[in-house]
Amino acid sequence: MPPRQRKVLEFVLDNLVWFMLLVVLAIFSATIPNYFQPGIFANVIEQSSVLGVMSIGLALVIIAGHMDLSVESVAALSAMATGILFASSGIGMGITLTPGWLVVPVSLVIGLAVGGLIGALNGYLVIKIKMNAFIVTLSSYIWVRGLVVAASGGRSAQNLAPDLRFLGIQRFLGIPLTAYIAIACFIGFSFMMAKTRFGRHLIMIGGNEAAAFRAGIKVDKVLMIAFVLSGAIAALAGWILAIRTSGATANLGTGLLFNAFAAVVIGGVSLKGGVGALPGVYAGVLLLSSINTAINLMGLPAHYTQVIHGLLVLAAVLLDTLKQTIRKRLA
Amino acid sequence: MRHLLKYGMVLLAGMAALLHPAYAQDKGKVYYMVPTLIDEFQTGSVSAIEMFLKQVGYSVTTLNADNKTDLQQSQMNDVIALKPKAIILAAVDFNALAPSVEAARAAGIPVVEFDRQISSTMSDFTSVAGTVEIGYVAAEQVQRLLTEKNGSVKGKVLQVLGDPGDPYTLDIQKGFEERMAKFPEVTIISQPAMQWEASNAGTIVSDQLLANPDIDIVFSHAAHLSVAAVASLEAAGKKPGEVYVMSSNGAPVALDLIRQGWMQVEVEQPLYAQAAAIAMFMDKIVAKTKIEPGEYDVLGLKSTVTDEAWGPTIKIPGAAITKDNVDDPSFWGNLKPPATPVTSVP
Repeated sequence: MPPRQRKVLEFVLDNLVWFMLLVVLAIFSATIPNYFQPGIFANVIEQSSVLGVMSIGLALVIIAGHMDLSVESVAALSAMATGILFASSGIGMGITLTPGWLVVPVSLVIGLAVGGLIGALNGYLVIKIKMNAFIVTLSSYIWVRGLVVAASGGRSAQNLAPDLRFLGIQRFLGIPLTAYIAIACFIGFSFMMAKTRFGRHLIMIGGNEAAAFRAGIKVDKVLMIAFVLSGAIAALAGWILAIRTSGATANLGTGLLFNAFAAVVIGGVSLKGGVGALPGVYAGVLLLSSINTAINLMGLPAHYTQVIHGLLVLAAVLLDTLKQTIRKRLA
Repeated sequence: MRHLLKYGMVLLAGMAALLHPAYAQDKGKVYYMVPTLIDEFQTGSVSAIEMFLKQVGYSVTTLNADNKTDLQQSQMNDVIALKPKAIILAAVDFNALAPSVEAARAAGIPVVEFDRQISSTMSDFTSVAGTVEIGYVAAEQVQRLLTEKNGSVKGKVLQVLGDPGDPYTLDIQKGFEERMAKFPEVTIISQPAMQWEASNAGTIVSDQLLANPDIDIVFSHAAHLSVAAVASLEAAGKKPGEVYVMSSNGAPVALDLIRQGWMQVEVEQPLYAQAAAIAMFMDKIVAKTKIEPGEYDVLGLKSTVTDEAWGPTIKIPGAAITKDNVDDPSFWGNLKPPATPVTSVP
């Protein structure tokens, strides 16, 4: 294959998920009534904010060769903590701060601390006690959700403080501010992964932990940071979720974990570790969100939506697998 | 010393028993199989059933099935082995639990269906508002609201269902659409909020507002879904009352939304009355004596017991909560349990 043609093909493969997104958006725009309009595209971006942020944390741990199944429940706990403290109806305590905008950093810090702590506990059990990450984080997935139910008593908190809701309501260029938080996270963490020593070490550890250790990388420290980051980022997702829904219910965020996994895999992150980049993950999140929006607009009978959702995700993953096959042939 | 200790223990046990308020009439243990604890109606049902049954002398232990049919089946098997006085079942799945109901009854344990009617097998008692009937009440309210808004029963309704695998939401949909079928000028768009998750409902509303900007009413099948729906309306720049909002179950959050002007109608499931009715008839259920059909007063609500193919059933009418009656303490969403204790039906 001539070098120029090969270069073009490699560029397409490197960014396949973005091309998939464009094709899917074009097909939906052409075939689904009312899909092609700026408001719908803004919705796709806005609806990606929670899943997108959660996928970043999950991707970091997976790239490092581990697993974090607790992200969904951590997000729910962070949302519930925000709801209980700063919502004024239901079980919300309606705490007010002066000046009012202080509620934004305070609630964020509380949420991040909650998530970071759970991430640290997961990290400790995996790295120091040498327990299996899948089992440790699965147990966290269960007990943290249980904590949400216990803390709320099954009730919901509603009417989040107006200064927090501002982030969900106020728009810039037609897109709510919460979506910009997600975009900023993707830019920041993509930079971290591509340009910092920590990012490079994370990829190396995921590729071959023993080799990374022999190369002098402080594997335990890097992994611990990855778990803490995963917890804190999941908590950030939960904080955005609470803002988006103006409070929290005990089952808030249910089902996000599997969508986050789908987004990460579609985005080109290998579940074996050591491979993946966050821009691809964001494209994966946007792809899932655009599929979800399409289903919402298709007016299908309720029973079929899950089937279609699953099949469309499968199609996306199959295309990704095809990409891997072509790449192997090129190598 | 040993004797002193022994007598001391007996004395302590006796005192502890005396402290228990139901000491005078401890009639035994009843198990309540709650389908989930992640919605306010179910959480409220636990405290209501425990409170009312205690008033008539029964202690209640609650088991949560986490919305899992197989888990509830296992719980039923375990509870049957414990031989309680009765089992109160709010089935995760109306039909899948029928064999468990039959097994319990075959073991001589009476089974009471709470809130979710099982019509494919016999039960000893059923206390429901009627999920299909909730759909009927919702349809009446939608007709009223559309007339108020558009001059006649015409317009567009976005119906946000719960999880499409849950028969509860499908029954409400059935009742609602059955009664709305005679109004061809009403378009109903139905979308499921998977796993009853609130942000899914919010996403549906924000998408549909763009695809169908002329939506008149958003009708969600649970109050917590309406919270997210309202958040999406607010994010879309809508003001309270611009798009009508209604839902069903009568949870506290819905009543708050009515007070704020965002929600126009909440169809209440009469939680307290449904639970109180079970307590009123529990002695008869345990003694396996006949429950006479007829009209009964349950916490001031006229309710009718009928003999159905699946056993005696009390149907308690659901009410429409609006801004005019939202503060009525009889609505369970106001979280003011009735002060007068219930008594057993003689």
